[in-house]
Amino acid sequence: MLQYILQRVLLMIPTLFGISLLSFGIIQLPPGDYLTFYVAELSAQGEEVSEAMLAQLERQYGLGRPWYVQYFLWVRNIITKGDFGRSFTWNKPVNDLIWDRVGYTMMITLLTVVFVWIVALLIGKYAATHQYSPGDYIATFVGFIGLAVPNFLLALLLLYYSLKFFGLSPAGLFSPEYQDAPWSVGKWIDFLSHLWIPIVILGTAGTAGSIRIMRANLLDELHKPYVITARAKGVPERTLIWRYPVRVALNPFISTVGWTLPELVSGSVIVSVVLNLPTTGPLLLGALLQQDMFLAGSFILLVSVLTVIGTLISDILLAWLDPRIRLS
Amino acid sequence: MSDNHRTDSDILLDIRGLKTYFHLDEGTVRAVDGVDFTVPRGTTIGIVGESGCGKSVTAFSILQLVERPGRIEEGSIVLNTGGQNRVDIAALEHDSEELRQIRGKDIAMIFQEPMTSLSMMYTVGFQMAEAIRLHMDVSKEEARDRAIEMLQAVGIPRPEQRFDAYPFELSGGMRQRVMIAMALSCDPMLLIADEPTTALDVTTQAQILELMQRLQEEFGMAIMLITHDLGVVAEMCSEVVVMYLGEVVEQADVDTIFHNPQHPYTQALLESIPRLGHSHEGRLNPILGSVPDPYHRPSGCPFHPRCTQVITGRCETVHPEISQLDPRHTVRCLLHEEPHG
Repeated sequence: MLQYILQRVLLMIPTLFGISLLSFGIIQLPPGDYLTFYVAELSAQGEEVSEAMLAQLERQYGLGRPWYVQYFLWVRNIITKGDFGRSFTWNKPVNDLIWDRVGYTMMITLLTVVFVWIVALLIGKYAATHQYSPGDYIATFVGFIGLAVPNFLLALLLLYYSLKFFGLSPAGLFSPEYQDAPWSVGKWIDFLSHLWIPIVILGTAGTAGSIRIMRANLLDELHKPYVITARAKGVPERTLIWRYPVRVALNPFISTVGWTLPELVSGSVIVSVVLNLPTTGPLLLGALLQQDMFLAGSFILLVSVLTVIGTLISDILLAWLDPRIRLS
Repeated sequence: MSDNHRTDSDILLDIRGLKTYFHLDEGTVRAVDGVDFTVPRGTTIGIVGESGCGKSVTAFSILQLVERPGRIEEGSIVLNTGGQNRVDIAALEHDSEELRQIRGKDIAMIFQEPMTSLSMMYTVGFQMAEAIRLHMDVSKEEARDRAIEMLQAVGIPRPEQRFDAYPFELSGGMRQRVMIAMALSCDPMLLIADEPTTALDVTTQAQILELMQRLQEEFGMAIMLITHDLGVVAEMCSEVVVMYLGEVVEQADVDTIFHNPQHPYTQALLESIPRLGHSHEGRLNPILGSVPDPYHRPSGCPFHPRCTQVITGRCETVHPEISQLDPRHTVRCLLHEEPHG
């Protein structure tokens, strides 16, 4: 088991190297760089940009050098100093910009995953054990609606109705009076009262999909001989369902952690914009639009690292859950 | 038991008029359609017939293991656990405490597919101890000791280590031994074995059958052996129930079935066994035709379209009643009905 984990961790190193190279390449792909954007911006404001000034800016940001040198410098600073470079647009170190947001994002993401799992597990189990019952049909119906309605639309609707009927603005993670206040009991309560909204909205589509997965997997397992064996032993039905078929049906659930993590970091951009959440999504969107390459690159690298870590976590969980994986 | 006068208390299980139907969109399949037979204590009874004749469904009905859309429609399955303790299993509530106390305790069951009958997610020991602790008031350690003792009894080498093994680490034959060990761990009065050797290779088959015989002598339980292999029946059983399309067509002791079969279906089954030195020009004698489509049961006697001794004009219209040929030999055939029976 330990050897297995070690092996997986070592394998992560070349993977991460490849990913960082690729993400750096992707940011460089669109024509122009931050300077092009900056010059266009200045021209739009009616200011002249001289050649000398351009050259000075180029040197300042190190943009004139070949891309592999830029890449090498960037990675070296990350590894040796934990320095992800500087954001051009914000004129601040990337580190100052992202970690707060990464923290909130991780928190919302993890809570959303837990929410999705619990709800999907319970509803999926009910739908499978009560196949073709009214409850199953309702779960299926609600599931498909949840899958079909875009999350941002749900967010807009929720904002609209909570403002219309309750006079509340659930946007953001804090009420205005707590926005810049230090952490206190009141701020926590305020935070938690805002938190459920993004969790529910972000979790809807995932829940709907996971219910379908859970239901289908469990239906496959429910009539397997080992379930009948357990029943023939006299195991009570409730214990039996959870202990035997559900345990097997969990596998695909666990395997999805790998891609749930990064998807929630990058996939919630529009919802985060609509709900005004201080997560990474909106910042990444802005950075990409403005060719703010170190900021964008850092995000993409981070999302990739999360993917790799997510996959590792799901592999470890799977091995822990399923002896066939652990022992072979 | 070879006496012809069996008393009531010798009967362990008494099945009367059992009907188990499957309600499908295409129609109702009458998988078990009025089955009567009894299982005497401590003996081995064989249930034989072609695929689809309702053998397994009968066995599953006994523990109420038939899943939707199947349902026990009618009939009684009376278990006599000794003295005046009689329970009609067919009348018990699904998932009731009473039913669960019978499952695994009074009646245990092993299945056709040892490769999938144990969960791959738990150790052999966990699954055995679970059964033991459900039915016996013992501690975890005592359950473990009991499980290891049972593994030893079924001839598994190094049982202490096997206790912690996962089923996928064992061969098919070993898994079936584990199933048997688990089934017998709570000292059941009846072991239902649903084609326990079908999925195993021939050498392993013989070993498992031998093991079952030995354990029967040791534990004294009755065995209900469901099989389509008449060779197995001849070796193992003292009594035989022959089924065709959800009905019992003949029941007798094993000698009578093999040497004096009365139902044309039983005769045809025996004819179809390949025998060394008895070949008719080297060819097999199969039963004519095949088992009819379950949605369209033939009228009258269900076997008449395939029967070589069919009485034209009667067998197509009259459904035969059970005739008692002698105290322990019954047959369901018009050839044997009294003129006004």
